[in-house]
Order: sequence, then structure tokens, then C-alpha cells
Amino acid sequence: MKIDKKLIKELKDYLDEFNLSEIEYQDGTKKVKVAKNISGITNITAHKPNIPPKKEESGTKITSPIIGTAYLAPEPGGKKFVEVGSQIKKGQTVMIVEAMKTMNHVPSTSDGIVKKVLVQDGEAVEFGQTLVLLK
Amino acid sequence: MFKKVLIANRGEIAVRVIRACKEWGIGTVAVHSDVDADSMHVRLADESVCIGSHQPQNSYLNIAAIMSAVDVTGAEAIHPGYGFLSENYKFAEIVEKHKIKFIGPKAEIIKKMGDKIQAKIIAKEKGLPVIEGSDGGVKDLKQAKEICKKIGYPVLIKASGGGGGKGMKIVDDENKLSEMYSLARLEAKKYFGNDEVYIEKYFKNPRHIEVQVLSGKNRTVHLNERDCSVQRKHQKLIEETPSPVLDDKVRSDLLDKTVKMVEAIGYEGAGTVEYIYENGKFYFLEMNTRIQVEHPVTEVQTGIDIVKEQIWIAHSGQTALKQDDISARGHTIECRINAEDPSKNFQPSPGIISVCHQPSGFRTRVDGSIFQGCKITPYYDSLICKLICKGRNRTEAIQRTMRSLNEFVIEGVTTTIDLHKRILSHEKFVSSEFDTNWLAKEKFY
Repeated sequence: MKIDKKLIKELKDYLDEFNLSEIEYQDGTKKVKVAKNISGITNITAHKPNIPPKKEESGTKITSPIIGTAYLAPEPGGKKFVEVGSQIKKGQTVMIVEAMKTMNHVPSTSDGIVKKVLVQDGEAVEFGQTLVLLK
Repeated sequence: MFKKVLIANRGEIAVRVIRACKEWGIGTVAVHSDVDADSMHVRLADESVCIGSHQPQNSYLNIAAIMSAVDVTGAEAIHPGYGFLSENYKFAEIVEKHKIKFIGPKAEIIKKMGDKIQAKIIAKEKGLPVIEGSDGGVKDLKQAKEICKKIGYPVLIKASGGGGGKGMKIVDDENKLSEMYSLARLEAKKYFGNDEVYIEKYFKNPRHIEVQVLSGKNRTVHLNERDCSVQRKHQKLIEETPSPVLDDKVRSDLLDKTVKMVEAIGYEGAGTVEYIYENGKFYFLEMNTRIQVEHPVTEVQTGIDIVKEQIWIAHSGQTALKQDDISARGHTIECRINAEDPSKNFQPSPGIISVCHQPSGFRTRVDGSIFQGCKITPYYDSLICKLICKGRNRTEAIQRTMRSLNEFVIEGVTTTIDLHKRILSHEKFVSSEFDTNWLAKEKFY
């Protein structure tokens, strides 16, 4: 097959004129494809996102037994069940989760010191959501 | 008639009130919390206003937000439904002060009858038998001892400002009195911010019987009684009318005395007077100054639309009903369908209703706010709908209720439907040999 240099030249002009990166032309059985090397694209290498892997907070998790509203104190404005730094015992109430007007006391699953309280008073919580972290 | 009514409630009762308004050509305004934006009452109302976040104190109990919604929409009256602000006399006062009609009795009556001690004094004054007890708050342990000796054990210690079974203590003998007395006061303080408690005679096998009234400036009528003795955790689960345990003599005495008391206090609107019934005698318990969950039992039995009457009384001050026009025939039963798991001590069961088929057919009514795809959130009461069936007699009413329960399909959340089937086929329910403590004692699972 004879290479039609003129056609390639013409197609290249179109590439520049319309700011394309690739053009294909077919006439009967004859097919010509012209593409140009675009540095901006070819040179991109995939970077690993520079976010440190999510570190699972260490400690014993106390999770919500039910979906509902979490309360940190037995009554509005009352003394909180636990604070960060409190020494607590297994079975001690750390929070109340209200579901359909039923107050569900959330007991601590082990002895320990409260490292973090992960929800706010009055916040909606899901089933299994970590409420308190013990160290 | 009112041009526009705002319904300060949600769920099935909001839907119920909207329906009554629509039939009368009254415009309706729904208010809702953010999580209720897609709920049935919002869809059915002509207008809706979001009044706050999911927590009731930010939305359905938020008086300022509700009054703003009234202002924005130009509603002329507020229907409070039940629960939330329905028995809050301060709310009724504020509403009246702004020249908006509160669909219910005057604030002063709500206040009087809402205070259990004062209500008991009034009831006694107006000729109702009351439960023997301290006739008011108990000053100290010494006085408590004297009262208990007089009325006899067992006794019940209750919080003056309380309700819903919270802070109640049963005392079997004098040895336990001191301990229970201080415990009850502690709980009363904790739950209701008021440590005043009172003492009453405790009933071993009580039935809960109540009388529905409608009252205007012109007269008071009763719509017969309801028996609500199938209860779980001090909350009604099944209601029926007429009560299978009252004889005609006691019934007419009960209805007569109720009407006289309600008339004497100048009550306006729909109300319910609740009683304890044991060994052929009834004792005044309290008065609910609002529409009740179980009102459809009476509606189906008598053919009277209580919510429409309520709106009419609010509008005109008078009731159009005459006692002679009210006739109750047959027997009607209501089952409350709650989103909770009866096999797990009624643990709440929020979720999304994936399949919803509600029963219908002859003398079958379903009042609710559920539909396929609706979300039952954990933020409010677990009641999602009510099934009400009427029969020629109690046997047929039970059969029809059973038939309807078997048609009911709700998937996605666990409900009390299955428990209702078990109760209705239980020989003790069929023979009506039960009291308010029965459900807690009987093993259904």
C-alpha cells in the first residue's frame, strides 16, 4: 500500500486547527489514524494519595446497642455519666440511647479509663456506632 | 367554620385530624421535624412548615416555632392531637393570648385536671368515687404510715407531677414503707423535678375503664365506655367497647356520674375520664383533656366522628349532639400496632417498611400513617397504626379482628401484630378474665 503523505499532512493540520489529539479517516478500505503525543497526559504517573492510613484508635470500644438519640447525662443539664479520664467499672452506665421513648442504658463492657467520648449530647447514633473509647 | 387549622402533631393522629378538616373543607397546615419531611401527615396537608430538628423539644415541643408557623400560614386554630403539647396548659394559654383558637378545653381546665391531686379533689367534690389515699401530697414518713394503716396494704406511692408509670412504687407491708417512700421521692425529683408524692390503695386485679365525653357550653354527653385493660408497661395495647365486665346498673351509674362531673367543671371539647374498676366498684383515676389514641373504638361503635365534633365545639362553643341520639350497638375492638418486638420485652424496632399491606373489608378500619417505603425513625413513639373492627357481638368482633390481623402484612420492622393474634386467641381474652397486670404475667413467647 502506498502511504499518502499528503493525507497525513492534511490530517495533522486538522489536529492543530481543531486542537485534537487524535483523528481517524476512512475512505473505502483505506484507513488512516493520526495522533499526537500530548506530554501532559502521558507523563502523569499515578500518585498514592498522601493521606496516612486511617489509624484505628486503640482501646476498648463501647458501641450503641440500638439506633436512637444519645444522651450523656440522665437529665438535661445533669451530671454526665462519664467524662474523659473517669475510672469506670464493667456494667456501669456510660450513656443513654433513647429509641421510641424507651431509655436504653448503655453499660460499659469492661473496666477502664475513659479515653474519648465520641458523640455529643442529643446526637443521633446508629446501631453499632462507637460511643465511648476506653484505655 | 375555621378557614385553616394547624396540626401541632405528627404520625397517625396528625393524619386523623387532617382527614377531619378536609371533610369540612378546612385548610390544613402540617408542622414537622427535619426527619419527618417525607411523612404521611406532611404529604396529606395543604401546607407544611419544618419547625426544627428530630428531638421533640426542638420541633413538636417547640412553642415558639409552632407559633411562627401559625403566623406564617395564617392558621386560625391549632389542633394539638395527643401527647406533645396537648395537655400543656401554658401552650394553650399562649395560643389563646394570640387570638388563635386552641382546639381543646380552656387552659385553666387543662391545668386543674392535669394536676393529679387537684383533679382527685375536684372529682370527689363533684360526686365521683375516688381511690382511698392521702388526698394530696404526703408531708413525711409519719403521715405516710398513718394513711397506710387506715387504707390497708398493699399501697401505691405515686409522684404528684408524674405519669407513664415512672416513679410508682408498690408497698406490700409496713416494713418496706420507709425505703420505698424515699425511693419514690428520689425518682419523682429525678423525673419530674418535684419530689411530692401521694399514696393510694393498690389494686390487685384492676380493670381500666374510661368514659368518652363531648361537652359544650350547652350540654355534656357521653359516648359510652371503653375497656382498656390489656396493657403492657402501663400502656394500653387493646381497647374495646362495651366493657365485658360491667353490668347495666354499674354502667349507667358510671356514665351518669361522669357526665355530671364534666358538666360541673364547665368542660369544653372532647375528653376522657379514666377509672379503675375492681369487684363491682369504679374509682376515678384521672381525666385526659384531649383526644385519645383509642377514640376510633367509640367512633366505630357509635358512628360519631369525635374529631369533627371536637372542631365543631371549638368553633361554636356548643355540642350539636343530644344524649338520646347516641346509640351504641354491637362490639368494637382496637389493636394498637407498634413498631416493637413483643418477644424481646417490647424492644423498639425502627426501620424502613419494605412491604405494607393493610387489611380492609366489612367493618374494618385502619388508622395510621404508614406506607410502603416509609421510615420508622427511633425518635418518636412506637405506635404506627391502629386496627379497629366491629362485630354484632364480642365474639364476631374478635373473629373479624383476627381475620384482619391475618391480612396485615408489614415487613422491615417488627410489630405487635403477631402478639395481637396470640392475645385474641387466648382463652383468658376470649372469656374476658384479665386485668391490667395480665399481659406482664402471661407468657406469649
